[in-house]
Amino acid sequence: MQGYKPGSIVLLQGVFGAGALKKLKVAKGMLVFVCEGRPSLEAGKVNSKALLARGITPTVICDNMAGFLFFKDMVKEVYLACQYADAGGALCDTGALICAVLAKRHNVPLKLMPAKHKTRFLGNPEDIVSFEGVRITPKGTKGYVPLVEWVPGKYLCKKSK
Amino acid sequence: MYESPLFWPAHIKGKTLFVLDETLVPSKMKYIPVKDVKGAVAVIRSMKTRAFGQFLVVLNTFLLELDARGDLVKHLEKVAGLLNNSRPTFPFAEVTGIIVAVARKAKANGADVRAAVAKTVQGFLAGIRERRLERVRQLAAALEYGDCVLTHCNVSGELAMAAAIAIKEGKKLKFFATETRPYMQGAKLTTWELAKAGAQVTVVADNTIGLLMAEGRVNKAVIGSDRSAANGDIANKVGSYQIAVLAHEFGIPLIVLTQPSKGVKSGEDMPIELRDADELLKFKGRAVFGTKTKGFYPGFDVVPHSLITKAIPIHAGL
Repeated sequence: MQGYKPGSIVLLQGVFGAGALKKLKVAKGMLVFVCEGRPSLEAGKVNSKALLARGITPTVICDNMAGFLFFKDMVKEVYLACQYADAGGALCDTGALICAVLAKRHNVPLKLMPAKHKTRFLGNPEDIVSFEGVRITPKGTKGYVPLVEWVPGKYLCKKSK
Repeated sequence: MYESPLFWPAHIKGKTLFVLDETLVPSKMKYIPVKDVKGAVAVIRSMKTRAFGQFLVVLNTFLLELDARGDLVKHLEKVAGLLNNSRPTFPFAEVTGIIVAVARKAKANGADVRAAVAKTVQGFLAGIRERRLERVRQLAAALEYGDCVLTHCNVSGELAMAAAIAIKEGKKLKFFATETRPYMQGAKLTTWELAKAGAQVTVVADNTIGLLMAEGRVNKAVIGSDRSAANGDIANKVGSYQIAVLAHEFGIPLIVLTQPSKGVKSGEDMPIELRDADELLKFKGRAVFGTKTKGFYPGFDVVPHSLITKAIPIHAGL
């Protein structure tokens, strides 16, 4: 894939605490890709800022593009922003389950790191009918905004300390 | 039958092709006048039209270019080349090749090239319209009472029209439409046309599909396709692959509207268009994630045939 080598990407899903991203190990030549995290886009904004502060230039993707990276064997490892974890699995920022299932299918290691904050279960439906404050959908369109989801333990291979 | 404006988003009147600007729907229904191949390539490349609309533009462009002076066959070959190179993932060459072949044959036989091409294009359009309507009826039949359907991007009017038929038959249906970043065709177009068809629709972020499936909130997924390979693999809007993988994981049937083709052997042979990253990094000219962040924007995914539960094909032959 034009300029991208197989196994050259560390993929981040969710909003991470600054401390977690400080500890993130990125080998030389590896790229860090960040899922943008609709509807707030907080993952793209906050993670990018923290990575730039470390001298790492992040590459933002839309939340629907993770699958492409896996399909092209570009992903070396995945980190999920985790709000709570136990033996049964982990409560993560929404979007984690997609990455978890993809990682399992493509045999890519999946790891947890602390999320920036604990969120409510559901966001405001108004958030998904607009983008950066601008109304996108037709008036009257319903929205559904789950902010967290459960990732069963069978998808997880290693938990962060 | 209810017909969505997205089902047939380009109409020729005289020497002008009027193409629905899908980037403005639903706030505006504005048609862009296209007078030649240059204008046609511009509306395709800028995604003013997309999916089936592009094929309408490609075919109708030959009608716009029939008055060229000089060697008409050579001119149509040049037109075909420009259209073929407008967006790499789409198999425009499979369509333009047919038209150019008709022109060459007419010339070789001493027939009227203009008349032969016009007749072919008009016949092709009429045929494909009927076959797409038939596909709408097949999709309507595949929707069952109580279905809660996940869809992605926009299926060029066909899902909304199928929903209208199914609802009229008394089937109770619900739809979840992914937003489909960065152009947001799901949030803008799919929600709009499903609501117009009388369907109940909810928009979700693209990252929500796992939860919808894991919690059993959807029991079927329906997507379109922009290209098919001989082995049944398809290319469709980016995001389709992860929907297919998760649907497979959670035992949810994936229905795909396809255009069978033997142009390439498998999905691996399909070139994937990488679009300008600014299309996802910027919104209304403003950098959303700061100015130092990079972006990556593949326009399409390949979905292997093994992940497709049911393909509803349209046969686009002449």
